Amino acid sequence: MKGLKFFFFHMRKNPLSIAGLVLITIFAIIAVFAPLIAPTPEGQFNSYLIPRDGYSQTPKPPSDEHIFGTTQGQYDIFYGVIWGTRTAFQIGIIVMGAVLLIGIFLGSIAGYFGGIVDEIIMRITDIFLAFPPLILAMAVTVALGPGIQSVMTAIIIVSWPSYARVIRGDILAIREEDYVEASRSVGSSHLRVILRHVLPNSIYPIFIMASLDIGAVVLTAAALSFLGLGVPEGYADWGQMISFARNWIVGTPSNAFAYWHTVWIPGLFIFFFVMGWNLLGDSLRDILDPRLARR
Amino acid sequence: MQKLVEMKGVTVNFYTYEGVVQALNNLDLDIYQGETLGLVGETGCGKTMAALAILRLIIPPGKIDSGKIDYCTVGGQTIDLLSLTENEIRDIRGSQISMVFQEPSAALNPVYTIGDQITETIILHRNRELARNAQAKVDKLLAEDNNRLSILIRPLRLIQKSIYSTIANDPFAFAPKLVGRIPIVRRLLWRIDDEALLIASSLLKEVEIADPSRVLKQHPHQMSGGMKQRVVIAMALACCTRLLIADEPTTSLDVTIQAQILELIKKLKREIQTSILYITHDLAVAAEICDRVGVMYSGSICELAEVTEVYQKPLHPYTKALMAAVPKPGKELSAISGFVPDPLNLPPGCRFHPRCDAAKKVCREKQPALIEINPKHFVACHLFTGDELGKTS
Amino acid sequence: MDFRTYLIRRLILVVPVLIGVSLLIFGLLQLFPPYQRAMLYVTDPRQMANIEEIIELYGLNAPLWQQYFTWLNEVLHGNLGWSPVVGLSVTDAIINFLPATLELAIFATPLIIIGGIWLGTKAAANKDRLIDHTTRAGAIVGWSLPTFWFGLVLLMIFYGYFSGLLPPERLSTEMNIIVHSASFNRYTGLNFFDGILNGEWGVTADSLRHLVLPVLTLTVVNTAFIMRLMRSSMLESLGKGYILTARAKGLSEHVVINKHARRNAMIPVLTVSGYLFAAIVNGVVITETIFNYKGLGWWAWRTAVMLDVSSILGFALFSGILFVLSNLVVDLLYARFDPRVRLGGGI
Repeated sequence: MKGLKFFFFHMRKNPLSIAGLVLITIFAIIAVFAPLIAPTPEGQFNSYLIPRDGYSQTPKPPSDEHIFGTTQGQYDIFYGVIWGTRTAFQIGIIVMGAVLLIGIFLGSIAGYFGGIVDEIIMRITDIFLAFPPLILAMAVTVALGPGIQSVMTAIIIVSWPSYARVIRGDILAIREEDYVEASRSVGSSHLRVILRHVLPNSIYPIFIMASLDIGAVVLTAAALSFLGLGVPEGYADWGQMISFARNWIVGTPSNAFAYWHTVWIPGLFIFFFVMGWNLLGDSLRDILDPRLARR
Repeated sequence: MQKLVEMKGVTVNFYTYEGVVQALNNLDLDIYQGETLGLVGETGCGKTMAALAILRLIIPPGKIDSGKIDYCTVGGQTIDLLSLTENEIRDIRGSQISMVFQEPSAALNPVYTIGDQITETIILHRNRELARNAQAKVDKLLAEDNNRLSILIRPLRLIQKSIYSTIANDPFAFAPKLVGRIPIVRRLLWRIDDEALLIASSLLKEVEIADPSRVLKQHPHQMSGGMKQRVVIAMALACCTRLLIADEPTTSLDVTIQAQILELIKKLKREIQTSILYITHDLAVAAEICDRVGVMYSGSICELAEVTEVYQKPLHPYTKALMAAVPKPGKELSAISGFVPDPLNLPPGCRFHPRCDAAKKVCREKQPALIEINPKHFVACHLFTGDELGKTS
Repeated sequence: MDFRTYLIRRLILVVPVLIGVSLLIFGLLQLFPPYQRAMLYVTDPRQMANIEEIIELYGLNAPLWQQYFTWLNEVLHGNLGWSPVVGLSVTDAIINFLPATLELAIFATPLIIIGGIWLGTKAAANKDRLIDHTTRAGAIVGWSLPTFWFGLVLLMIFYGYFSGLLPPERLSTEMNIIVHSASFNRYTGLNFFDGILNGEWGVTADSLRHLVLPVLTLTVVNTAFIMRLMRSSMLESLGKGYILTARAKGLSEHVVINKHARRNAMIPVLTVSGYLFAAIVNGVVITETIFNYKGLGWWAWRTAVMLDVSSILGFALFSGILFVLSNLVVDLLYARFDPRVRLGGGI
């Protein structure tokens, strides 16, 4: 209870974190109620394919039929951004979940057992971390072929090493603590010590990292889609929708902002989604970080 | 003897998420010139807070909510430290009142040399003197040299002379400050750094560090704990301090080093005759080095008297219990029953009453004031206030 | 250990990592069919006709470990294959496109580092006051901005709305002609400096005009990163004992923060600047793509989209090696900067 009281006191003092929470909740609601907000047309099997109203290349501005207008190729923007929310959550949660599992698993083993196991795992992370993430993700996506699974796999491959390292570092520190030694001295098995003592104490920074990173994951996935390396064409994905807008940023000779909706609407969706997670993660970090003089 | 510092009714509160924590509760304390006053008490009773309050180093969420701290300046005036401006108190910090902390490793900045850190204080507070010395040296050089080289350097030296004399007259003048900011031109001020290093070197000799010139070039991590503490003491004494506040300076050191540092402090006490506020939880150390001792409990003073009085004829129940708790061979260990009060849930009236054998009804209701019971012997306890004598709880 | 030992030890550590990097690239390579793998051994478009022979020649159906050494041999000789997308060998392509990216990085990096450090210091020194909240909000906005979207928006405003005020690509057509003419000496390949060195101020001015938006795009996102790190590092530094001592000495807040706290706080930021390098390479791919700025990033994008295997893997290998080396440099700088490591006193 005391922890919760502490938590909410600080939340109240920090309006940014509340803003973050609100944003994420709004997006979550959109994602959950996507079929109601933007119903899939009759007969279309895959809900994630954006319905097209014709094949003309020129985007059309918002109208009664298309609330947010259409983008290049007459894809309905409204449908795209609503179902794109689902895609974003999917990618974020699946990738983050996998990264956490792999990272915590390998990191714990490296940290707890030390020695040669630690060395090997650390060298492996070094190798993966030797690449700028986007480049490696690009290479993997090319190798695995297009599709949303390749994007997710690529990002998982690129992201797990940092988590493994952080967990390993925390465990190395905690391993030396007296209460671990005390537990071992009364006969607890390795597993028990890890699960009961080491992990609960090292898990907080990981969750902070994870919530901050969901934003980064979605951004990377969007970047890959934007570059044309991810989802198939017409898939409801924010990044891809922005790539459709590339040719239309200069507008018409009379109106520079004629096609603003193609750029701004998907862009704002990504921006607020990522910002919501970043706000939350940032304030979580400020609150839970014991080193930053708790007041 | 004249009073140097007098704390009257100082209350410090901390406004935390869990509630308001009272660190200092109506504290009364006075320090005379030239004396060594010991401040003893259990961990958490507020000793360090008292010291920080004097220097106004209490930072949010802590606030000095009430009280006065009278300080007798060099000129004989009495000013209230709590009413000074930031600039004024900074003038006093490090020069007239300085502080030595518990952890010497934490007190020194790891990325700067010892020389840098000591001269920092000296240059800050003794700028005038340094400039005067530097100017005198330049004058001498200007007067004697006649060869070709010195004629070339002459203009440079003249510029230096003018800068130094400006600083000597007005340490806050704009021009020298400007010079100090410009990278290459700044080198003109090298004599000031030099003078400061000379002073630093002699300070290190004072604290019994052999080979000061080598130490000045070292970084903190290259030195042992004892040596670091000597350096910290040297830093505190750099500017003719009138009150040295030592907050448990030997607690984190080995026993042998502890003895050395204590000897050092005693020697300095004899030589420099500065007042010392010595904070410790070690009664033995306090007995050895202090003239008077104040016993603190839960944010206020409960007894204040000469050292022999406190140790041999303690009056306050807490002091009595403390003295009795000191382990002696052959005697059974006696502890003080009960626990230190929870700062969020303080007992009403006298803070000590839940643990006191002689507690009376009034102890639960009113906080006792610090009163002079015997000459120069102050106690804050209802047992001695006279008007409640005789009534039982 | 003293600096020299540290240096040697660190250098030795680089080798297994580089080997690992090569293994990873090689592993990715194996995911492709022999035809595409053969592209890595081609140095001339005419060889493409004889793909079968090449497959045989380089043993692309041989056991893995053999292939690895064949490939490694080629790489060490500087042969990374052929890039059909630009019609150059991969190595030549890298050399060709590097100056453009370098120009971007040279302008962006100091802005990012200095801006981030300054903002982070200000935010930490004024914790929980207005300036702290605004700077942090700004940082979060910057960090949440999709680089590609931000760049497009900038183009929309400054190129579309303001009719070509700040255009994409590297140079306008006229300046391009000057740069490629015989009298113009390309000393560095960076238009800004070449313009100065050749006395062609028009080129310099034009290149600046084209650089503004891409540099801005790169800077905004990455400054946020450095700023946040600096802020938390400063907050930690300000909580340390020597800060209390400094205040007790009577030093002004300004000196306490800028002289004592900041020096210590910058150390972790410095170590992270290796990652900044990676972030810039990341950002460069997208930024160059949006602005059609023909540098390494742009090339990487085109090759990825066109499934130009040799190029994308060659580029990955190149950036991997570069990154390992930059981390090495940062580690060594860190050892120099932090006297605790440098003077061998142990930490």
